[in-house]
Amino acid sequence: MRAARLALGGAGILMIGYGIVRLVHSLPAPMLALLGGWLLAVVIIQLAVLSPVILAVGVALRVLPDRGRGFVQAGLIAAAAVTIIAIPLILRQHSQPAAKAMLLQDYRLNLLLLLALIAAGLAIAYAVRVARDRVKPPGA
Amino acid sequence: MKSAPSDLPRTGSRPQTGLVPRTVAARPTWWPHFSSTVRSTALTARLGRALGVAFSICFLTGLLSYTQYLTWPWLPKPVVPAWGYRATQGLHVITGIASIPLVLVKLWSVYPTTFRWPPFRSVRRVLEIASAVILIAATLVQLVSGFLNLLDWRPFRWDFVVVHYALAYVVIGSVLLHVAIKLPDIRYGLGTRLADGDVLSEVPWDENPDSHSNAGPLPAPSTPAITRRGLLVATASGIGLVVITGLGQTVAPLERVGLLAVRQPSRGPQGVPVGRTAVEAGVVEAVTSADWRLDVVGPQPYALRVADLEPLATRQVRLPIAAGQGWSASAEWRGIPLLDLVQRAGGSVESRVVVRSLARGGITKAELTGSQLAEAVLATHLNGRPLDLDHGYPIRLVGPNRAELFDTKWIGRIEVQP
Repeated sequence: MRAARLALGGAGILMIGYGIVRLVHSLPAPMLALLGGWLLAVVIIQLAVLSPVILAVGVALRVLPDRGRGFVQAGLIAAAAVTIIAIPLILRQHSQPAAKAMLLQDYRLNLLLLLALIAAGLAIAYAVRVARDRVKPPGA
Repeated sequence: MKSAPSDLPRTGSRPQTGLVPRTVAARPTWWPHFSSTVRSTALTARLGRALGVAFSICFLTGLLSYTQYLTWPWLPKPVVPAWGYRATQGLHVITGIASIPLVLVKLWSVYPTTFRWPPFRSVRRVLEIASAVILIAATLVQLVSGFLNLLDWRPFRWDFVVVHYALAYVVIGSVLLHVAIKLPDIRYGLGTRLADGDVLSEVPWDENPDSHSNAGPLPAPSTPAITRRGLLVATASGIGLVVITGLGQTVAPLERVGLLAVRQPSRGPQGVPVGRTAVEAGVVEAVTSADWRLDVVGPQPYALRVADLEPLATRQVRLPIAAGQGWSASAEWRGIPLLDLVQRAGGSVESRVVVRSLARGGITKAELTGSQLAEAVLATHLNGRPLDLDHGYPIRLVGPNRAELFDTKWIGRIEVQP
């Protein structure tokens, strides 16, 4: 495994170096600085904003009973996946010439439809679980 | 720190370290503690494996797309399959989009490792942190800028192709480095049943009295609410919805459920979307002017007027138009075989041909040789009607397995170098 790790790590460092050299050679200094700012900003947003918010939501959910909480958690994960993709679409909808056939939809409504679909799916799954637990109580 | 054990652990287990757990007691009382039993190396390794597959797809299809920009004489630009670019770039884009939620779940699963105590305990740990920071930074910028680019939204102002291409090496390189650093953990994680894996918390496994390597065989941790499997199913479901509702911009039958699709190909003029409009390209006046002519430059130069095109436009082809932004549409084209015009100018299939647009800014030419030259059609009609102004009126290039960006529109000049 040691040889595999050294080979992987070595190849990785070479590729990182190649990428950085390409960037430095092809971008003017102000653009490099801007890119550096973006690289820094995404890490800070991920570590110091997004993650704490997700943790806080997780803590807030603890008021729910365990069985229901699992379904709410699952629903929020699926909803977050859909929402994070929908938000930029919503921000950009109807911003382009019609001929591009792009961003012509009402993505706000589409997001609501998807969230409703997720909620409905989970409601059904939860009902099935409750019914099953009645027949055969958990732990029995 | 999860230092690499000097002896190789068996697959699916970590070595018994016999270390006395010390950092739990030594760290300050206010230091964060993560109690969720859902997080586990077994879970993270599975998420990481999925991301590894996704990033490999993105990297390889991305490299393939990059070859469209290159004009190295030895580089083959095959014409079969005609739908090659359509399929690979549709895959590239949808895989990249799907990676956004997947990366966020992966990062959630390892968030406690941000809070190792003490934070910078050794050179090795500092290097590990540095590699993780490069990985996270490059990956997130790559995915976010890639997604915004699909929306023709470039708040980053830098040349997208230059940065996306170079950053791809940084992303893949830091993935390889990360795999090298984490290989013992990955082997443990993938070799352990999902429900059985040690809980991943801020305490490294070799110092955690509750890890199986210190405590011996353990019962599976209890996950009273969502289970690890449940988390994977929820993530896969969310991503599945994103994929199904996003693919409509390239898979025609899914257009009707394309709730998150950026483009709706059938709503474009003549049933085909447009990458750049005539107004954006600043060509409206030039191509609608009575003075318009197509100059063919070569050993026997000549020029064609609009009225000359129609009698020559005898070739019918069904070809997809496919953009690097992942949208595509199949269409019926009628036009003039490029090779006919090239031969009339004294060239042949051996020639190097440059097709130039009247458009201003952006990519305004395409270079064709070999089989691409032999198969290329200069289209005057699309789906049975004369080309719309936005589709490149009066004449544009189409060909098999090509990027839309190099399907030059509003052609004004053809240069034949025999």
